[in-house]
Amino acid sequence: MSLQGWVPDIGPYLTVAEVIEHAFDYRGNVTVMRHDGEELVGYLSNRDAAAPEPFVEVIDEEGEGPIRIRYADIVNIRFTGKDPAEGNSWKAWLERKEREKAQHAPSTSA
Amino acid sequence: MSVPLSQMWTVATYVIRQRLAGRKRYPLVLMLEPLFRCNLACAGCGKIQYPAQILRKNLSVEKCLEAVDECGAPMVSIPGGEPLMYPEIDRLVAELVKRKKYVYLCTNAILLKEKLHLFKPSKYLSFSVHMDGLREEHDEAVCRDGVYDQAVPAIQEALRRGFRVTTNTTLFDGASPLRVREFFDEMMRVGVEGMMMSPGYSYSKAPDQEHFLRRSRTNQLFSDILSNPKRGWRFNQSPLFLRFLMGKHDYECTPWGNPTYNLFGWQRPCYLLQDGYAATFKELMETTPWENYGRKSGNEKCQDCMVHCGFEATAVDHTFSSVRGFIETAVVSVTGKL
Repeated sequence: MSLQGWVPDIGPYLTVAEVIEHAFDYRGNVTVMRHDGEELVGYLSNRDAAAPEPFVEVIDEEGEGPIRIRYADIVNIRFTGKDPAEGNSWKAWLERKEREKAQHAPSTSA
Repeated sequence: MSVPLSQMWTVATYVIRQRLAGRKRYPLVLMLEPLFRCNLACAGCGKIQYPAQILRKNLSVEKCLEAVDECGAPMVSIPGGEPLMYPEIDRLVAELVKRKKYVYLCTNAILLKEKLHLFKPSKYLSFSVHMDGLREEHDEAVCRDGVYDQAVPAIQEALRRGFRVTTNTTLFDGASPLRVREFFDEMMRVGVEGMMMSPGYSYSKAPDQEHFLRRSRTNQLFSDILSNPKRGWRFNQSPLFLRFLMGKHDYECTPWGNPTYNLFGWQRPCYLLQDGYAATFKELMETTPWENYGRKSGNEKCQDCMVHCGFEATAVDHTFSSVRGFIETAVVSVTGKL
């Protein structure tokens, strides 16, 4: 199931660090919301929770970056971009092939 | 086996030097991904699903060469993405050849014919053409009709011009051993130097999640394909790796054997998994928790993986770390019996 469109509800059952893990695994753009009210839209390409000062790295929509943001500065992350990993292209291709085969098959009706 | 003697010698002396230096972990093949763009969208590929601004990006040649020099591996594989879409692929390859690196330029061959003039034949350069089977199987795997019929003439043209050409085949559940054997016959008839193959890896981002091989099925499939190999077949990979695929060896993964460098940095821990990125090769080697990966670690993402980027380095190390491994490799290489 894709996380596309997800707006996490940060609270006792979901931490920012957990949302960062989901965002790192997500292949679309996200919107990183900072405590200071700034927002950055881009692809979250890296994160290091074990660093002395945990950080994420984001490549923005223009391809600039990576822009490093500290975990401590992040209030939430929205999954705003289209998920390019979502979809059934292989299935769709097979279905199209089957349709083509059926169209080219000789008619069996009398 | 078809790895040229000069390449074998380079690899052998490199491995022995690493062992004599007491290095427990060393790279064998650098996987260099200068871009993620591709002109195909294959069902089993989890490499190209990114937003537009990432797909537009290229590593600079200078960044690529820094990574090559820092890593020090004797072989460089350039996958991607489709490397022939990289704007400076000719300069990158020329620089790698100048450094006497054995380069495997992994391509689907759609652009090969029109780009061949950019390259000079060299013992250091091999086009490793993605071929997942005969026409029907290959076109199905790459989700586009007609690709097989583009690739074969491109291979023939490259061979005619004196280039080294190998094939790289990924096999998924449902592959027919008989058809794979026919495919090997056909590639030998076409005249490629050697063939490489591997079971597919279950990328969580790949569109086709149903056809990845589980371990026992992998052993069965490769035994069916390889237990009676034809004398004319040539493989451009470690014979012990092929025996591992057949279930004759129980190897552990060597994730640092094929380190990966791409737009995001040095990928942890391997070519297939993305658990984060290090800024330098040194950082990758020294700070990755390697004990968390491989089958023995219990990591569920590693349990069914038997892909060459994790296990071929193990097989090569086995060849040069024991008399038994060396003799076994020599016997298989001479007799062709797997």
